[in-house]
Amino acid sequence: MNAAADPGAGRVLDADVGVVGAGPAGLAAAGSLARAGLSVVVLDEGQRAGGQIFRQPSPRVAGCGAAPPSHRRGRGLLAAFAQSGARLCSGVTVWDARPGRLWFEQAAESWLVRCERVLLAPGAYDRSIPFPGWTLPGVVTAGALQIMGRAGVVPGKRALVAGSGPLLLPTVAALLGAGVQVVAALEASPRSSAWRALPGLLGHGGRRAEAFWYLRKLLGARVRLRSGWTLFGCEGEDRVQRALIGKVDAEGRPRRDTARSIEVDVVGAGFGLVPSIELGLLLGCRSRCDPRRGGHCLDVDGEQRTSVPTVFAAGEVCGIGGAEVAIAEGELAAAAIVKDLRGVPVPPALAVAAARERRAADRLLGCFPPLPGLCDLATADTIVCRCEDVRLEQTRAAAALHGRSLRAIKVGCRAGMGPCQGRICGPSLQALANGLPGQPADLPVVQVPVKPVRVQTVLDAPRG
Amino acid sequence: MTDAERTAVEFTFAGAPVRAWSGDTVAMALWAAGHLALRRSSRDGAARGVFCSMGVCYDCLVRVDGETLRACTTLVRAGMLVEPGGKP
Repeated sequence: MNAAADPGAGRVLDADVGVVGAGPAGLAAAGSLARAGLSVVVLDEGQRAGGQIFRQPSPRVAGCGAAPPSHRRGRGLLAAFAQSGARLCSGVTVWDARPGRLWFEQAAESWLVRCERVLLAPGAYDRSIPFPGWTLPGVVTAGALQIMGRAGVVPGKRALVAGSGPLLLPTVAALLGAGVQVVAALEASPRSSAWRALPGLLGHGGRRAEAFWYLRKLLGARVRLRSGWTLFGCEGEDRVQRALIGKVDAEGRPRRDTARSIEVDVVGAGFGLVPSIELGLLLGCRSRCDPRRGGHCLDVDGEQRTSVPTVFAAGEVCGIGGAEVAIAEGELAAAAIVKDLRGVPVPPALAVAAARERRAADRLLGCFPPLPGLCDLATADTIVCRCEDVRLEQTRAAAALHGRSLRAIKVGCRAGMGPCQGRICGPSLQALANGLPGQPADLPVVQVPVKPVRVQTVLDAPRG
Repeated sequence: MTDAERTAVEFTFAGAPVRAWSGDTVAMALWAAGHLALRRSSRDGAARGVFCSMGVCYDCLVRVDGETLRACTTLVRAGMLVEPGGKP
């Protein structure tokens, strides 16, 4: 591996494998690859390796033992990765990709990784569903509130967590660890979902220990997770001060007669996760839509290879499944790449383990199906696209005039054309604009750069 | 960075001093100091702040020493001048 000055102003890194993402999948894969003797460059947007799930608590919340059992595994992965010899580039933005090529920006520098194989492990982000007041400061995603809780920086004393799926638990636990009162924890799915999820939780050693750890935290703080409830809206002057909560029916439709107002300082809302497939689409990888796994995800074969032969994918980008799936798929992808480049066969046990973890995750997440009725939370003047301040009624007018496709709605009202490039509003934009809750979304429209970068970064980009 | 290596850092946001720890993102430091509104929407003028905290949504844009950056992906540095930002 060497870094050389290019004829252009940008710089070039040569490696056997370029890995995107230093979460569980990327760390597991990169460690395995480096130990097999391959040169590896890992590109990560975060400031520290570990991704979102293995973020370590900050000194502000020291002393409360705030890390769940799975974090021991995370620390082990991080330590093994640090000793493996893989090269980590943190705080970078990957903005363009071709098979064997990854262009990224680090600080104000433009870089190119040239590699034999690309492994995509970019993870996922929170699925948001617009509701009145969701743009108020202090109203954030469940993932964001978890990050702030673990950092011990939650302003105020009263937090509300709402949404759907297993990820609400770590958010509540992070807040409790930071000494914040959780005034309500609302799971939109009916109570039967949680009961159906039980066998999946109890039948899997790691997940059982994790679930018990979270439930002990909740019970200790007398926080009850209320099923069949959600957040109807938020109000306040320049920051959230009140939340309107109430019951929903089995499909998530708000029952307005049950609404009541509570005082809050911060709100975290998250309705599952969305796989981050943009780079995969840019690389030409085939995708498929699986609502149970978060919607559009990259399609891979039994050894994590995408439809592009030199591009592999592992973890949430192949469908939401959690850290155990990500680690198993990362190790399998690494073994398949070692097979390609060194001729060493893939140990069959790795494929078996990855498939087993994936089946268990599918069973668990299948208990929390998307709730189409939650599309009724937004009212005509609710902002849908946060970047361009496009309101629901404007998206409906655009759909009526220009057509029902994601592209037509974007062109018609600019929703999804801001700097987030539709990552936040895109997954629910069509269902909202067309008034067809439950309508599967078109594939996101991706273009270069897949994330905003400096113009100079593009001008300096090494060719080749 | 281990906890022992973290040091107190001071910077300014909209002219007000903010105390933080090295290793904090600007977003964390501003939340800890109670600054939730980080900018005004350039379209309807409403207050906006951190939303995803992981570099996806670009709602927490601030100007750091004159450059528009995401508060949630930028680490604090002593003496940095942070001002409310705006989306392009």
